[in-house]
Amino acid sequence: MTSPRKVDYVLDLRGEPCPYPVVFSLETLRKLKKGEVLEILADCPQSFRALPEEVTKAGFKVLEKPQKSGPTLHFFVEA
Amino acid sequence: MVQGFKRYVEMAVCGFWSPVFSLVALGVLAAFYFSALGAAWAVTGEFTRWGGHFLHWVGFDTNASGYLQLIHFTDSPLTRVDGVMVIGMFAGAFISALLGQNVKLRFPSKRRILQALAGGILAGFGTRLAMGCNLAALFTGIPQFSFHTWLFTLGTIVGTYFGVKLSLLSWMQGKPKLVAAEQAVVSDIKPSAYYRYQPYLGGILLAACLVFVFAEFKASYPFKLLLAICFGFGFGFLIQKGQVCFTSAFRDLWLTGRSTMAKALIWGIAVQTLITAYYLMQGMAPNVIWWAGPAALVGGILFGIGIVVAGGCETGWMYRAVEGQVQFWFVGLGNIIGATILVLAWDGGVYQSFIEPFPRINLAQELGFPGAILATAILLAGLYFWADWRQKHKKGFLYRRDA
Repeated sequence: MTSPRKVDYVLDLRGEPCPYPVVFSLETLRKLKKGEVLEILADCPQSFRALPEEVTKAGFKVLEKPQKSGPTLHFFVEA
Repeated sequence: MVQGFKRYVEMAVCGFWSPVFSLVALGVLAAFYFSALGAAWAVTGEFTRWGGHFLHWVGFDTNASGYLQLIHFTDSPLTRVDGVMVIGMFAGAFISALLGQNVKLRFPSKRRILQALAGGILAGFGTRLAMGCNLAALFTGIPQFSFHTWLFTLGTIVGTYFGVKLSLLSWMQGKPKLVAAEQAVVSDIKPSAYYRYQPYLGGILLAACLVFVFAEFKASYPFKLLLAICFGFGFGFLIQKGQVCFTSAFRDLWLTGRSTMAKALIWGIAVQTLITAYYLMQGMAPNVIWWAGPAALVGGILFGIGIVVAGGCETGWMYRAVEGQVQFWFVGLGNIIGATILVLAWDGGVYQSFIEPFPRINLAQELGFPGAILATAILLAGLYFWADWRQKHKKGFLYRRDA
């Protein structure tokens, strides 16, 4: 998905089922510097709702609504 | 205005539905299913019968099996209420997934396949030991006021705790690949035609299903079976649209304290309990009052561990399997293997030691309907507040590990 924003890292979690998209996203975001932007790709439909909820709760910023292209979900999160 | 309406319809057909809406709708549908067919909505009994067909095929004397007799192992999947209901579920979930462009073959790593198989076997064995799964021993069993479902639920809470601990071990978890943005290859900017046409294919199949039901109705196909297929279709459609995951309801509470699915599940059970109570008070007989003993508790624990390790439970694998998530084909296979192992162990001492000595407790008989409803309300409220507390205070392994 084209996005005008700057992305620093891409975490490709396609093929991973629950709960690993959330586990890996949180672990990765904690390792990034503050302000860095992570693009997360997943194709586990559960993540559509769970992932934004969980990263927000953990104190990270979801930059835009999750985008869905076919079965692939794109999330943009600022550490 | 027209634009707004169009977007709304698009969201309803192609998007995901809220968990609370989906679970309350499932609760209502399950209560009507019970009233129409006289049985709780359940799936694992049918999976066990599939195992029975396999045992029969390899020469095992299925008539001598106490367990298969208990679950009415007769005929074929096409002539059993549960059998055609399960087929309806697969069809409903598949069409729902097509409408949302969610059908894609997703191949997991070998590690995940092993997890799926091992967890699936554990969960399959556990649920049949407890005489039900997340449905008959929980979602549709609690509304029938069988006390064994309380033990199973408690067991599931304990089991999922250990399941989460296990699945976070580094050799279970594995490592994802993180790449710098400039090296990343993110190619699919627009969904390919394969995905764009899925909603149309879904619509065509839906129409075909309607034609089939109408034609069979005319051809005097047993009405009961036709009804079961239609209910099954509704169940399957709803669990896929709502991404209803009983595993996540329990697991997330331990993992991060997320309570979304747990609370939705509680609402679904609450609504279903009231409608079911109405039918029971009219004189309908409950059909899942089973033994409230250690088997229900231990079964729940094994089930809880199994579903978290596998990634999904007995209903969760069904819609994920038709979404093309290969991992869940193995969860389903594991469930059937696990249930079949229990069938073989049943007459070898399990029944005599862990099942038979314990009473079947129908709370509606023990406490009367007002008492049973009140007791269920207290149980559900307790679970609700516990879930809410975990959510508010960010209880969960992922936060503890960080600190």
